[in-house]
Amino acid sequence: MSEKITYTDAFDELQTIVAEIETGEITVDILSTKVRRATKLIGICQKKLSTTEENVNTILKELEEKEKF
Amino acid sequence: MTMSEQINDRKVFSLLDVMQSIQKTLAGRYSTAFWVKAEMIRLNHYPHSGHCYPDLVEKKDGKVVAQIRSNLWRQDYRRINALFQKTLKESLKDGIKILFLAKINFDPQYGLSLHMLDIDPAFTLGDLEREKQKTIEQLQSEQLFNKNKSLSLPLLPHRIAVISVETSKGYADFRKVIDQNEYGYGYFYFLFPALLQGDQAVPSLLRALERIRLVQDHFDMVAVIRGGGGDIGLACYNDYDLCKAIASFSLPVITGIGHATNETVAELIAHQNCITPTKMAEWLLQRTHRVALPVRRARQQIVSKSQYIINEKKERFREQIKYFKSVTLNSLSFHANLLARLQSGLGQQTLFLLRQNQQTLHQKEKELDKNSAVFIAKTQTTLHTASQQVKLMDPINVLKRGYSITYAKNKVITSTAQLKKEEDITTVLADGMITSIITNLQKNTSNE
Repeated sequence: MSEKITYTDAFDELQTIVAEIETGEITVDILSTKVRRATKLIGICQKKLSTTEENVNTILKELEEKEKF
Repeated sequence: MTMSEQINDRKVFSLLDVMQSIQKTLAGRYSTAFWVKAEMIRLNHYPHSGHCYPDLVEKKDGKVVAQIRSNLWRQDYRRINALFQKTLKESLKDGIKILFLAKINFDPQYGLSLHMLDIDPAFTLGDLEREKQKTIEQLQSEQLFNKNKSLSLPLLPHRIAVISVETSKGYADFRKVIDQNEYGYGYFYFLFPALLQGDQAVPSLLRALERIRLVQDHFDMVAVIRGGGGDIGLACYNDYDLCKAIASFSLPVITGIGHATNETVAELIAHQNCITPTKMAEWLLQRTHRVALPVRRARQQIVSKSQYIINEKKERFREQIKYFKSVTLNSLSFHANLLARLQSGLGQQTLFLLRQNQQTLHQKEKELDKNSAVFIAKTQTTLHTASQQVKLMDPINVLKRGYSITYAKNKVITSTAQLKKEEDITTVLADGMITSIITNLQKNTSNE
């Protein structure tokens, strides 16, 4: 789950895969690849939904430095 | 000026004399109270005594053209302030225009001032309303009114720069809903403290916005959260400078100021106005919901659809196997049939061929028989003809027709050269013979 992807991109890609699977435009050869990818994207989305990478100390430090000027 | 004294031919008054004289003159000239309109630039309320000493000015083209101190005693202040809060939803404060009832007051020690007896809230209300309208019109003319609204909020706004007071009830309400959401959604919020009402609110809010601007990359939106302060002191949210700063801020600003009165300009121009901090928190959860649900649905869809596809392919595969089996069996039996037919065909054909050959043979035999008979008959006929001819050629028959054969010395004579004169010859006729002697021998000369 270390992949750097925005929520919007992950979500869009997920929607595309679901649409592909839904319309049956998918072959068995790539189905497992797609499902694996979708599972990963779901994981990314859910992680983004439940966590945030922002760090209070980073912001405070940045604010302090910028307020000096 | 009765209290003067004579010093070196000069009439001299004491300061108190002069002040008292002025006091007396003014008291006589301005005996009754009168209504005055002015701008109260500072209220100067002293909490300890409860008295106010408002600074009053009149401005013309931005310049002060008149100025005076005034006083408003504790009892009057309390009454008027309560009336203001009820009518305007605002306390008496710096920088408002007022219409007040006053008496001229001159104190020998403190000088000239106006003594306020009453202030008409309706005048200030109208003025505040005009200020609000002016702010709206100005923002509209500068194309700023919808500027913050036109910003797009990220699909998942979850990094929030909060402008509030650490201890305020509104901020506590907000945090409670956000932190204890049952869906486990994660939000990051960071407080930029500011005063949210009253005189100091505008500069304080502007400062907070400026600080957020410095670290705006860490945030998706700004939340202005106030609550628990009642409806008083919200006129700051109609302030042009503050509203301009909000409207042109680079992040979407969401307001949750929490009051029951008319919307302030800041709320009108905000990206989104939530009535209370709790409502704002719920609005955020709702936004997250909007993207979390499709993810959940996607997961279900992928599971069920993948299962479906696999089952379908399995089914098709099974069908293919079945089909393959039946096709193979068909093909086998077809070829077996073909072989059998060929086999039986071969027998029949052989027999047929045999029979045909036999027939041909038989026919040839018959033909041969027939032809032989004909040939024999023909040969017999030929033979008969030949025998007839042979019969015709029998010397007897020739002899009968008058011919005769001549012999000499038992040899048939065919030429005179065989004979000599006086030789005996025998002539044979059909019915006897004659013996003669040659008397004459003459050879034909005409031919050989």
